[in-house]
Amino acid sequence: MPDDRGHFRRTLLKVMTVQLATLLLLWLLQARYTG
Amino acid sequence: MHWLNWLIVVAYLVYVVGDGVRRAKGTKEIEGYFLANRNIPWWAVGLSVMATQLSAITMIGTTGQGATDGMRFVQFYFGLPIAMVILGVTLVPFLHGAKVFTAYEYLERRFDARTRSLTAFLFLLSRGMSCGTIVAAPAVVFSAIFGWDMAWSVAIMGVPTVLYTMIGGVQAVTWVDVKQMVLIVFGIVALVIVLLVQLPVNPDDALRIAGAAGRTRVFDFSFSPNETYTFWSGVIGGTFLAMSYFGTDQSQAQRYFTARSVDEARSSLLMSAYWKIPLQALVLLIGVLVFVYYLFQAPPLLFNPAHEQRVRAADAALYESLSGRYRQALAGRTQAAQALADAAAGGGAGESAAREAFRAREAEVNAVRAEALALAGRVTGENPRDVNYIIPHFVLTALPLGFAGIFIAAVMAAAMSSIAAELNSLSTATVVDFYRRWFKPEASDGHYLFVSRAATAFWGVFACVVATFAATLGSLIEVVNRFGSFFYGSILGVFLLAMVPGARAAGAFFGLIAGMSAVAAVNFGAPAVSFLWHNVIGAVTVVVVGVALSSLKRAP
Repeated sequence: MPDDRGHFRRTLLKVMTVQLATLLLLWLLQARYTG
Repeated sequence: MHWLNWLIVVAYLVYVVGDGVRRAKGTKEIEGYFLANRNIPWWAVGLSVMATQLSAITMIGTTGQGATDGMRFVQFYFGLPIAMVILGVTLVPFLHGAKVFTAYEYLERRFDARTRSLTAFLFLLSRGMSCGTIVAAPAVVFSAIFGWDMAWSVAIMGVPTVLYTMIGGVQAVTWVDVKQMVLIVFGIVALVIVLLVQLPVNPDDALRIAGAAGRTRVFDFSFSPNETYTFWSGVIGGTFLAMSYFGTDQSQAQRYFTARSVDEARSSLLMSAYWKIPLQALVLLIGVLVFVYYLFQAPPLLFNPAHEQRVRAADAALYESLSGRYRQALAGRTQAAQALADAAAGGGAGESAAREAFRAREAEVNAVRAEALALAGRVTGENPRDVNYIIPHFVLTALPLGFAGIFIAAVMAAAMSSIAAELNSLSTATVVDFYRRWFKPEASDGHYLFVSRAATAFWGVFACVVATFAATLGSLIEVVNRFGSFFYGSILGVFLLAMVPGARAAGAFFGLIAGMSAVAAVNFGAPAVSFLWHNVIGAVTVVVVGVALSSLKRAP
């Protein structure tokens, strides 16, 4: 159904955004604190 | 533990049993018992998927790993969101659309009965045993820290879980999972906040000190197949592992079979994909902060209190001598940690020298600990590793009143949600893939419902017995778990093969055997290769052999 597909795409976009933001934060954690 | 903490634990246990049992109302047939009539909203399915995957070991073992090894374990989960997306557009539409009870049932429709029976049998064998280890892991810790008998430790989690799963079916499992997941997240967030408040240094300095000890290193881009946790093993091996687990393991697949539609099933998996990495990072961060906490508060020489008692009883003089050296090393490390925090606050001058001094003191502490652990191993004859006891020790000695009860209840919730899903799926595969398929294809729903509840009770008792005798069965469990890792990726290979047009039953069956043999050959021939790569090898072998055999059969 089109509504369901739209919901899936929006969720997918949000999932990938959260993953990228998390990886970026983890990278910053390592870069700032690991000597 | 204070009576208020116990009250919280008891209230939690009474609530989950009551909530689970009341879900039995209206369940008159096995479609309702095993699949909730495919009518559970996607967000509840998603929370249930997350709760099932998050076991007690995540709460006490992963946090302990954060304290001893730092953040790099999070790389293990890097493939999970990718796997969820791939599953969302491949296996989930196939399986949910086929309206099956078990993932293996689909394989009979696509290939033949022997492929279905073999995969279902392998699932029952490995999951039946692993369900016992899921109960045993927290039970061993509770037994050591509270001084309980092992059978009592197993029963306190096992009996309520078997009760609500047996009576309420998947409705109970899912809706109790939702509440348990809320409790688990609350416990984790509360622990982070309490830790930040109790640390004698600010969070920036705490992370700087943790970084000096290597605890904030997250990424390892080396491409060695012998290193378990690297960026590449996490992304590639982790993707295959997560695809095997979430796509073909009945304990996970059954969660999204209960969703209302294919798109709701996909959304439920994506919800889990959302939070897995952030949540695991937070869990590891708890361990890192506990490590910093114990730089300023003297930790015990041995975190396992049962081992400590036995070592003291066996050789008090040697233990006292080690304790004295340990206290001295700890005092030096505390001074070095404070000096590092001061140097960092002073704008970086001398920070490098302070970091090196801290590392030297840290090495001294670790050396004494290693001696004590070796002594504990010799005295007890057991594995002396005490990673799983670090967080429980912190929770029971450092948390304010009430928080320990919440955390213990959260650990129980994590264990019980995983056990419930396993029991429910074991019962489903037993009844649908064997009893109904081979022994009694025609019977009333009332009969199947009765048999399903009996099968849940049987697997529950089996898991509790395995857990109670886990120490005695240690080598057997290890053999079964190792055997399980042989076919995990191979079963995924069969499901991937099912999506290849022209793939045939003989290709699937013999491809599955070839996949398991290939993994066994790598396991015994090159034991240093990380288990994360086994799933890749198994899945690829099944697809290649399966396609080749299928094309051979077609050739004439």
